[in-house]
Amino acid sequence: MKKIETKTFIKDKFAEYYKKCASIIPSPTSIEKREFGFILLKEKIMLRHKSFRSVDDLREFLKTTVPSDVYYSGAYYEKPEEEMEEKVWLGADLIFDIDADHILTPCDKIHDKWTCNNCGFVGKGATPEKCPACGEARFDEETWLCDVCLESAKRETMKLVEVLMDDFGFPPEKINVFFSGHRGYHLHLESEEILSLDPAARKEIVDYIAGIGLEPEFHDLKKIRGPKLDDSGWRGRIAKGTYDFLLKATPEKLKEVGLQRRIINVIETHKERLIKSWKEEGPWGIIGIKGSRKIAQISAQRQSVKIDTVVTTDIHRLIRLTNTLHGKTGLKKTEVPITKLERFDPFKSAVAFKEGTVTVLVSEAPQIRLGNEIYGPYEEQKVELPTAVAMLLLCKGAARVAE
Amino acid sequence: MKELEGRPVFTERDVAKYPFISKAVEYMKPLDIDIDELAGSDYDKILDRAEDRIKEAILSNLVSKEWSNDAVEISSFPIAVMMVAAAADSFLKRRYALAEAKRVSDMLKEERDEIIMGIAERFNWKIRSVKINVGSLTYDFALHFTDFLKNATVIQDKKWKLVNRLVSNGEVYLTKSETSRLLEEEVRRYIEGKLDTKVGLLPQGITDRVDRLKRLFMEKRGKIRFEEFPRGLVIAAFPPCIKKSYDTIASGRGISHIGRFALTSFLISIGMTVENVIDLFRSLSDFDERMTRYQVEHIAGGRGSRTKYIPPKCDTLRTHGVCPGMNEICKRIRHPLTYYRRKLRTIRTEAPVERA
Repeated sequence: MKKIETKTFIKDKFAEYYKKCASIIPSPTSIEKREFGFILLKEKIMLRHKSFRSVDDLREFLKTTVPSDVYYSGAYYEKPEEEMEEKVWLGADLIFDIDADHILTPCDKIHDKWTCNNCGFVGKGATPEKCPACGEARFDEETWLCDVCLESAKRETMKLVEVLMDDFGFPPEKINVFFSGHRGYHLHLESEEILSLDPAARKEIVDYIAGIGLEPEFHDLKKIRGPKLDDSGWRGRIAKGTYDFLLKATPEKLKEVGLQRRIINVIETHKERLIKSWKEEGPWGIIGIKGSRKIAQISAQRQSVKIDTVVTTDIHRLIRLTNTLHGKTGLKKTEVPITKLERFDPFKSAVAFKEGTVTVLVSEAPQIRLGNEIYGPYEEQKVELPTAVAMLLLCKGAARVAE
Repeated sequence: MKELEGRPVFTERDVAKYPFISKAVEYMKPLDIDIDELAGSDYDKILDRAEDRIKEAILSNLVSKEWSNDAVEISSFPIAVMMVAAAADSFLKRRYALAEAKRVSDMLKEERDEIIMGIAERFNWKIRSVKINVGSLTYDFALHFTDFLKNATVIQDKKWKLVNRLVSNGEVYLTKSETSRLLEEEVRRYIEGKLDTKVGLLPQGITDRVDRLKRLFMEKRGKIRFEEFPRGLVIAAFPPCIKKSYDTIASGRGISHIGRFALTSFLISIGMTVENVIDLFRSLSDFDERMTRYQVEHIAGGRGSRTKYIPPKCDTLRTHGVCPGMNEICKRIRHPLTYYRRKLRTIRTEAPVERA
């Protein structure tokens, strides 16, 4: 049996994809003003400051170079191929990134593994800030995509769409949502009015969406009254969050969030009255100003959208190009119409390699779902898998080709 | 004027109050005045008022709101702009633009809604007059969020954070007084832009006045810098190393390269603007604005790698002789910024500071 090098196999498959599917790679608006970047498959290095005059030139480049990842700038430049200082920034789209890494998920990322670079300590779940064994903070991470993670990311994306439409007044046709090809979603906004916003202004938008720096007193939370359920903006969000919190919170939970015993007693004895109060002045007067502010603050955090704050403020950021492959999964970045977002299944719609099977030797892999089929878990075994599943394992470095 | 159709017609009195509005251009084009004619005695009143505007800006940071002759008041504005531009001092330019802008916002707070709308539209703001009550709050205007952000991000107060505003359907809701405050920022930037115009040769009568103003400004410079320190920045909470570097620089003496780096990154980290930091170095004998600006902007993350630098750790500062010796707080911390945060907390608990 001849050993096939994994990288060569991946490159051949990626090359096949770009040869067949180049025509579905879309042109970003004003392609000639964008900077492009590529990660080269074998060398694993980043090639930046590229520019293309037309989408045909770009497609040709993809076919011949076959990169593992393809990025373009959210920014528009006069000279995109120059060094950063010389580019001349003309404006940038507003970009959001929602990644399962930034969300607390019910699966607790139990499928992820990290290894301390310093002492070799291995752990499961989300990577800690510091190694519990030696205190160093550099790790090798092995992350997996799971339905629970991706569903959480999707919920956050739906919340984001709502804020952008209701609060910021963007029409749905300007909001483009994508599955990133790995563990999350991207949202691009292309609109004249936001092009020239500086990083400080973008940070304010980020803080608004993520609820950072929010103080309930500015949203009319006074001694006996406060925001109502049908109010707009954060007022309504604070009210809805508080409604939800009071409805579900157990005495233990109330204690856990740091409420005083006296306030917990009030909430426990007046449950019915609290719910009815929303028809009039709201629960604020019953709970009292101190407790109300605390609850409003907690509720607001639950209503906030967990976006990666750095991506949106960085006006020079590179983002993955639509319909190109993700080097860690072999899935493609896929546009999702807003109306179809709720029922979108990345393990169906983002599959790039739909035909054939590949036999691989899997070292270790958790369960994987593709469409309606479930594969694995595997440990040290040889299996024949649909190409998409095999590619995922190969890209993740969890398997090698057996034929 | 075509561009003002459908909007309130500004009276001569309105133009005297807000000389930058479109109609002012009808009366006089800034920096396009018959200079020789101006030097004649007929125009002494205008020149006097122009000089006064600047003098008031230097001395009290506010241009006065009383005048007797509207025509003189209107003409004095473009002349004052020309004089400040001629003085070619970026610190004075900022001071003057701010003083004029404050005068505007003070008057706008008392103004009819139509006038506020007219001026906002002069700057192409997307604004509506609304008059609504939401809960216990009353709003007068709804402004597109991009116009809000362009002007509000420089105001350091929680109340001006977008997340603490009522935002709905792309608009931020504002009171009349808040709208006036935002217009102040717009006017300030507009005037600053005008002040960057290159000025040609001026007649003796005007250059004499410009020189007089420059001398006055030089005299007051030190005092003004102290006043302009951003609110919320507490010198009393500086760690000894930063305090020492700061005092040395403020007295016009030089410090080591790492001392400068520590001071600059410290001040930027605690919220001082690039402009204010540059001004601090201005009194040094070897001050080079272009170089200083480059370095300060680099540390602030505005250039090159776009990394925002923070000051070195205490260890490093000790190694390089920047540390003048530790006090009690120093013994418990390892970074100058931690010192500042701790000290600030103790100061604040001792004397609670009211948030504006």
